[in-house]
Amino acid sequence: MASPEPAAPPEPAPSAEPVPRPGLTRSGPGRVLVAVYAIFALSATARAGVQIATKFGHAPVAYALSAVAAVVYIVATATLATGGPAARRVAVLSCSVELAGVLAVGTWSLADPASFPDATVWSGYGSGYGYVPLVLPVLGLLWLRHVNRRPATPAPSR
Amino acid sequence: MWSVNVVPTTIVIAGLALAAYALLMTALNRRMGGILLAALGVLEILLLVLIGLVVAKLAGGERPASTGTLIGYLIAMPLVPLAAGFWGALERSRWGPAVIAVAGLVAAVLMVRLHEIWPAIGV
Repeated sequence: MASPEPAAPPEPAPSAEPVPRPGLTRSGPGRVLVAVYAIFALSATARAGVQIATKFGHAPVAYALSAVAAVVYIVATATLATGGPAARRVAVLSCSVELAGVLAVGTWSLADPASFPDATVWSGYGSGYGYVPLVLPVLGLLWLRHVNRRPATPAPSR
Repeated sequence: MWSVNVVPTTIVIAGLALAAYALLMTALNRRMGGILLAALGVLEILLLVLIGLVVAKLAGGERPASTGTLIGYLIAMPLVPLAAGFWGALERSRWGPAVIAVAGLVAAVLMVRLHEIWPAIGV
């Protein structure tokens, strides 16, 4: 399955392309953003899946919110990695939902801890995940705004 | 079973060191290089060794509170350096090494989570 082969790195030839192509949400800093989103998509999905499959009745509110968060992270990862005009609009929407979600659920979890006997990704504004869930949608929205302000592709000669 | 404690600690240190080195490369505006990919390979080998040790422990009859979660971690763990290497190598700017830094940090965090899932795995 997993075969580590440090001896054969697929190192790209050092061609002269120092600047990432503009308009691509997955290039440059976006590459890191997509990587972090992918990790959250995977971990939130796995967590929600295990929680709902094994002990849904224990904390139904928390586990349903975990599932919502998982879907939002999956959509954000996919749309940021695709990066077309339509995908960017969906990405803005999912990052906005994510920011609203982490703020709402964070506040809710502090105001009404009884509804959250078990943690979600967004509990305490993402404190269980080093507050990355709080920072991530802000970075996502800033990055999308930055990309949207640039021309989509270097204009081919018309 | 000393190694179920030593290997995770080694992975935490290796992951953090890899992240620091990769972020230095980003700060110096370097692209992905052979050293970073080799370091990722070392991290991968360490993770595979740990998986072997944990599977041996499971085969010995010991069980954590949530076996399903543990097995999920065992499946996901070795994919982290592979995915990061692939995704980072596609990037031809300073942000390629930054992806590798994320993988190093994730490996370190995974060790802490593993310990929470199954305290028999030390850090």
